[in-house]
Amino acid sequence: MAKIVDTPVIDVHAHVGQWGAKFRPASPKMYVDIMDAAGVDRMGFNCIYFDDERKSHNVVADWVSKYPDRFIGVAFGTPRHPDETIPELERAFDQLGFKYMKIYPTYYTKPVDDPSYDLIFEWANSRGIVIMCHSSNVADWDTLTLPTKFIGLAKRFTKVKWLLAHSGNAMRGQVLAVEAAKQCPNIYLEICTSFAEAGTIEFLVNGAGEDRVLFGSDIPLMDPRYHVGRVVTADISEAAKQKVLGLNAKKLLGL
Amino acid sequence: MGKVDLDFKPSVPVFDACITVGRRYDRYIRVDNVADTLATMDRAGVQRALAYTPHALDFDSVEGNSYLMEMIKGQPRLVPQFAVNPSFDDLPLMAKSMKQHGVRSLRIAPKFQRYPFREWVLGPFFDWLEANRTPVWVAAEEIDPSEFHATVSGRPGLRFVMSQVHFMHETWAVPLLMSLPNVSIEVSRMLQPNSFNKLIDAIGAERVMFGSRFPDSAMAPQLYYLHRSGLSQSQLQAVCAGNLGRLLGKG
Repeated sequence: MAKIVDTPVIDVHAHVGQWGAKFRPASPKMYVDIMDAAGVDRMGFNCIYFDDERKSHNVVADWVSKYPDRFIGVAFGTPRHPDETIPELERAFDQLGFKYMKIYPTYYTKPVDDPSYDLIFEWANSRGIVIMCHSSNVADWDTLTLPTKFIGLAKRFTKVKWLLAHSGNAMRGQVLAVEAAKQCPNIYLEICTSFAEAGTIEFLVNGAGEDRVLFGSDIPLMDPRYHVGRVVTADISEAAKQKVLGLNAKKLLGL
Repeated sequence: MGKVDLDFKPSVPVFDACITVGRRYDRYIRVDNVADTLATMDRAGVQRALAYTPHALDFDSVEGNSYLMEMIKGQPRLVPQFAVNPSFDDLPLMAKSMKQHGVRSLRIAPKFQRYPFREWVLGPFFDWLEANRTPVWVAAEEIDPSEFHATVSGRPGLRFVMSQVHFMHETWAVPLLMSLPNVSIEVSRMLQPNSFNKLIDAIGAERVMFGSRFPDSAMAPQLYYLHRSGLSQSQLQAVCAGNLGRLLGKG
């Protein structure tokens, strides 16, 4: 029997900007329409397509302005132009009202624990920021964002809340992500992936705890309806489903 | 606040067009036996599933298909699909085994099996398929789209199903479906935004089939997505079971 509930549903992993090269249309209206169909209240999105934090933040701010009650701005940081990074992060959080930030080592082409990232991590640590980062280990070569790399970071930068996007992706990465979450109370796991095998949601919740797993979709790559579906059909308690869908994000991001 | 169904079950009968059964030689699988597969189907609201075993592709079709039949042992909810290597296998022997076990579909992997997907290699195999009205599943990663299009367009009497089409294949998969009316798609990896609406707008609902690729993906989420895509009840019925049943002659 259907059990329709009113519960916060917050998609913490989304991207904005145009990506026609990958056949990915995107517009604020398109996102809101999909959110409505999926039952998603709010969506936090970043723009990682430009190697220019100011440009990225302006794109995000413009989108947020279209539906400020539904959209949450997420900052982007890259060490590639260090003189620009901190001033721009301060603008994002202090003026634009962004709530957390994304880093993407894959585009920076260095591992997440490369010392050049310390600039960002020290700043984020001083402010207790949530940093979401791509985390993946689908094959032996896939190590830039190996989930266990975050253990050292989480222990060094203890005031940062580390949100591992994709929770390592495939099963071998999920095992590492859960291990990282077990070792570090400031590591959280986000669920979206196209690699996830049956039983992934259950594995993440049972391994990391129902309070530390968060729903995300990776739109425009994937539709939130699929990932909401992964949570609501998982063999976990109703309370756990509600936490993963949005209560955990509400608490983590102070929404 | 968001309205979500915490106890979602599909509102129509479901026949999953793509699952596997059995262990893998190269990795651990969370659900690798029939009992747990059936339990998953019950929880997901899936009545039947078309099942093959990867061993039949990865190693040997004769031994693998026999292994599949051992595992599913006449379980009526699991409908067997055989894998075949048309460049190696004894096709009359395969045909006999298919008839013996009531198998109505095949799966091939041209790139992995290392043959050009061309008439001059597969002609006799295509003749047999056409004579026996047997549809063939091919994973998108096994398809060279230009080769596939050239070959399949010359054989309008054949029936193919593109399987596990990922967003990496999107740029050619939909145009290919639009230009080849004898090709259907199972949507296990169509996770893109609005993917079902775009697909059905492009080719209609009759060639779209629900598949999950379980256990490489969970079984139910794609059903949830389908049910939240604004499809009509008749479209949902067709996609979730009717189209596959018709293709296999199983209603």
